[in-house]
Amino acid sequence: MASRMAGDAMLELSELSKHFDGIRAVDGLSLEVERGEVFGLIGPNGSGKSTTVNLVCGVFPATSGRVLLEGKDLGGLPPHRRLNAGISRTFQNIRLFGELTVWQNLWIARRDAPGEEAGFMRNWFGSSARIREAIEETLVFAGLAGRANDLARNLAFGEQRRLELARAVSARPQLILLDEPAAGMNREEVEDLKQRILALKGSGITVLLVEHVMELVMGVTDRVAVLNFGKLIALGAPGEIQGNMAVREAYLGSPDAEAA
Amino acid sequence: MSEYAISVASNMGMIAFVALSAYVILVVGEISFGQQAYFGIGAYMSGAATAMWGWPFGLALAVGSLSAAAAAFAIGALTIRLRGLYFAISTLCFAEMLRLWLNSVHVRVEVDGEMVGPDGAEGFGDIRWIFENDVTPLEFMFIIYGLLGAVLAFLLLVERSRLGAALRMVGQDPLLARSQGIDASACKLLAVMFAGLIAGLGGGLYAHFATYIEPNVFNVMLGVHGLAYGLIGGLGTALGPIIGVVLDIGFLEGIRAIQGYRMIVFGGLVAILLIVMPRGILDETRVYRIKRWMRRT
Repeated sequence: MASRMAGDAMLELSELSKHFDGIRAVDGLSLEVERGEVFGLIGPNGSGKSTTVNLVCGVFPATSGRVLLEGKDLGGLPPHRRLNAGISRTFQNIRLFGELTVWQNLWIARRDAPGEEAGFMRNWFGSSARIREAIEETLVFAGLAGRANDLARNLAFGEQRRLELARAVSARPQLILLDEPAAGMNREEVEDLKQRILALKGSGITVLLVEHVMELVMGVTDRVAVLNFGKLIALGAPGEIQGNMAVREAYLGSPDAEAA
Repeated sequence: MSEYAISVASNMGMIAFVALSAYVILVVGEISFGQQAYFGIGAYMSGAATAMWGWPFGLALAVGSLSAAAAAFAIGALTIRLRGLYFAISTLCFAEMLRLWLNSVHVRVEVDGEMVGPDGAEGFGDIRWIFENDVTPLEFMFIIYGLLGAVLAFLLLVERSRLGAALRMVGQDPLLARSQGIDASACKLLAVMFAGLIAGLGGGLYAHFATYIEPNVFNVMLGVHGLAYGLIGGLGTALGPIIGVVLDIGFLEGIRAIQGYRMIVFGGLVAILLIVMPRGILDETRVYRIKRWMRRT
């Protein structure tokens, strides 16, 4: 890793910390997510996974440390600018604009391809065939064709999850953060999600997957990082992580207090 | 139309500006108890423009509404970080500050041998543009409704646009809106400023309709009514506040039997509606159903 040039990583966290009134939610975390990989982030409840996602998205500022996207420091960039910088996300609890239609949910998140950006008036007041086509395509990708004019809150649970994913994709991100996308899903839905994540990877998008459902993590990730008490305790291929003692202790508790 | 009917209709038209103004802020998720202040700024500024400076009426209305928008922008920039109750209180404070300050503003100039201008608590009279130009009450009513129609049409157009969707998103979940690339603070500031513009336009009309204004006209009850009209009529479309105005002034004022009890009936209506229909008659869901029904037929 040390031999690689700086800026080669899609996302780099450098000595990142977030303290809430003395609680070290994230504590000196350093890791790199490589371009085009699916990177898993696991750990017990309260280990700092969601805080890490929120730091990357700029929901709150870091206590110390840096977040770099393609080598550029995102420090101080407000959340709405980070989407334009190339980071989109889904939420742990489904978060859609329930009183707005599926179409409107996607319309807002959609970004033009680089070099094809519409002007201010076009962007906020206009609507073109190109935009409509792009949104229709996204609807098909998400298996929501024909639901464009439904209110988001009237969709079934699985459809809402897919709409969230579709929304994150329509922002044309370089990096997608998926915060526990499989929560509450049954086996078939997890399998479906697995295929969709692999499709994202296939289209060149880097994925940071925060997840508890091991079946999904082991099935799609290239590398997995394990957090405990805001610190990185293991990093490696999914197979290595599964056999790692420290990880078992973090999840199940240490059989011997000294060992912790 | 009888003179009384014209007067009621004109009043409805002018208060509809306050209602639309309060509504625009409700859309982005905040409550303002201070829109009467911008109505007042519009009234004083455009009144001064015709009566003191002899400007044409159209220019006076423009100056009134732009001054109100500028004031709204300045106060909005100061209060944009406040949420919920704190934002509401700040709007009320600024509006009351302005009203009390107007009580001590004496700017009198001599026009045709008479002293004209704001005279503190004595008010600002002799805004005689309609007399000097022989504008009949009926004609003035058409001016009011023409401008109201234009504002309403503009709002309905914006609601169909991507900007309209963004503003509603900010109202529903600002954090989520931010994660979708929407600058929530800029959206709120835009809404606050445009709300000021609308109220200022209504105020300019009011000054020339009434020909006499005083600080106490722009007290908190004006703003509260404006707010209530949106909450009654519904927050799903700009037509909602208009329905609220028609229900209160048009309907309640029209029933002679309850006159004098109107405010009691009105208060009861607001209370019941807030329980049964928290976001008004034409809320987002009903507007959605109506649109769906219209698409099918």
